[in-house]
Amino acid sequence: MLNHLPILIIIFPLSIAFIILLFKKYIIALSTFSILFSLASLLKFAPSVYKGQIISYHLGGWPAPLGISLLIDSLSFFFALTVLLIGMMVIIYSIPDKKYNHNYYFLLLILLSSMVGTIFTADIFNMYILYDLVAIATYLLIAYYQHGVALKASFNYLLMSAVGLSLFLLGVGSLYAMSGTLHIASISEQLPEIFAHNPQIIIMSLVLVITSMGIKMAMVPLHGWLPDAHSLAPSPVSAILSGVVVKVGLYCLIRLIFGLFSTEKILVNIASHYILMVFGAITLLFGAMMALTQTDLKRMLAYSTINQIGLILIGLGFNIYSGFEGALFHVLNHALLKSALFFCAGIIIIKTGSKKIKELAGFGKKNPVVAFCFVILSLGIIGIPPMNGFVSKFLICLAAIEAGYSILALVIIFASLITAAYYFRVIQIFYSEPIQPNSNLPNIDVAENSLFWDKYFRLWPIYILTGFSLMLGILPSLGLSLIRPAVKILLLNIIK
Amino acid sequence: MTPINISLLLFMIGLYGVISKNNLIKKIIGLAIINASVVLFFIAIGYRESGLAPIMSRSEAVDSANKIFVNPIPQALMLTAIVVSISLTAVALALVVKIYSKYKTLDVQKLYEE
Repeated sequence: MLNHLPILIIIFPLSIAFIILLFKKYIIALSTFSILFSLASLLKFAPSVYKGQIISYHLGGWPAPLGISLLIDSLSFFFALTVLLIGMMVIIYSIPDKKYNHNYYFLLLILLSSMVGTIFTADIFNMYILYDLVAIATYLLIAYYQHGVALKASFNYLLMSAVGLSLFLLGVGSLYAMSGTLHIASISEQLPEIFAHNPQIIIMSLVLVITSMGIKMAMVPLHGWLPDAHSLAPSPVSAILSGVVVKVGLYCLIRLIFGLFSTEKILVNIASHYILMVFGAITLLFGAMMALTQTDLKRMLAYSTINQIGLILIGLGFNIYSGFEGALFHVLNHALLKSALFFCAGIIIIKTGSKKIKELAGFGKKNPVVAFCFVILSLGIIGIPPMNGFVSKFLICLAAIEAGYSILALVIIFASLITAAYYFRVIQIFYSEPIQPNSNLPNIDVAENSLFWDKYFRLWPIYILTGFSLMLGILPSLGLSLIRPAVKILLLNIIK
Repeated sequence: MTPINISLLLFMIGLYGVISKNNLIKKIIGLAIINASVVLFFIAIGYRESGLAPIMSRSEAVDSANKIFVNPIPQALMLTAIVVSISLTAVALALVVKIYSKYKTLDVQKLYEE
């Protein structure tokens, strides 16, 4: 039983999802239990992963190049931990809302388990299949309330991401045609030889992979789906989309660029990390500028996600230790902060009945606790010292100077100023006097009477995530000790 | 024209359909063409000139060493990819049904204006 724990982490929530769909009883208890089980069994691997061990599990007992295998190293452990932690919080946040029935929990569990699968797999074709599963669950969750606008946003996302995943499959196909295997490590071993004979095909598959994952994580020329999809989805779904689903695309990109296309010749000839740096800078500035012009609260948060993704890409692009450290730490920080911000936005939309930033006046006096959490979290996103966002932004800026791109450090600071501008605008409106007495508009997200135990379950995820972010900000070494082994894996692949 | 070139051409045709057609159903047809082209691409990778079906019976095992077989792995992979693309098409069509019942149109231009 214990030998099969890696596959159980994926299979258990998946099978519970179908049990929920069939029997429609004890929905919340079952889904909470399955995610807690996955989290506990993942944490069981923590000691051996942090000793530097790499745990590989072969499905059906067939060894690596022939069969399908799962791989748990410190990089995939870190990402899976983030996914399951945020997933747990999203389930707790969804409990009070009676509109979320068995279909919702079914899709949520499928989404979480297939994301963990995408992270663990060591086989690129499996990565494609599981990513498609993530994507299908996402389309249906975005359109969960079946409002017209959400349906349109979901269809828009479907078109872009389906084309993107087909491009990814084309890249997988050309790699398979050249190497005859689908196992990431085996392809990476054969890559220098293939590159000597057929450099065009390797470059083509690199471009295909970067394009497809760029669509998935909203790199700027390919970001068109994100603002609609993230802002029109139900609030807990927006939280999981912005916090985690985008990061899975980032994980696949990291795994493939730094794990597969990382031989010395390719690094010298193509320098794939420069692509990341340039697109990261564009993404950073574009996201910041667009967020500044938004009038809708959730749409502003969605553009802020694009902004932060750009920052992470810049950090990865430097290709040095502190850059990776800052980028991976920012992945964790952004997951915590942005999902908590979307939770806050969900409560704000329910309480004020409006999504427009202008109509939120006076919210800070009516709900001081939620408003205070929003302020703290937005300070974290801006990067103000006692918060965790500061540490990761500081590390990325240091890496910029260390790698000799001081201009990028200035760009990051400039973008942080814009970030401050759009978050402070919301905060200022929170604490200003309402212009007219707020007539309770019929809100489109959730009717208030469909909530039960609102005080406990809605607020606790926000408190927990805010507490985590404050703790990581005051004691950054806690988070950095989680990340350093993962950084070592990235560097190891580059030197090889 | 090798099958690989044809598959890439089909990919471009599908992409054209997804980008330029105004009707949502036609966009989904474009997606289906893209998926079919990727399937063709994989099958073309595994194809060997005058190769046999990769089925080996026990009696033939001795003299089959000299024969050429097509590569069965891309075919097996494509079974999975076909299933995925069919479920994707089903989800897309379900969304289109819902969109049509809300807006009474499938034209992207009219949907965009509303």
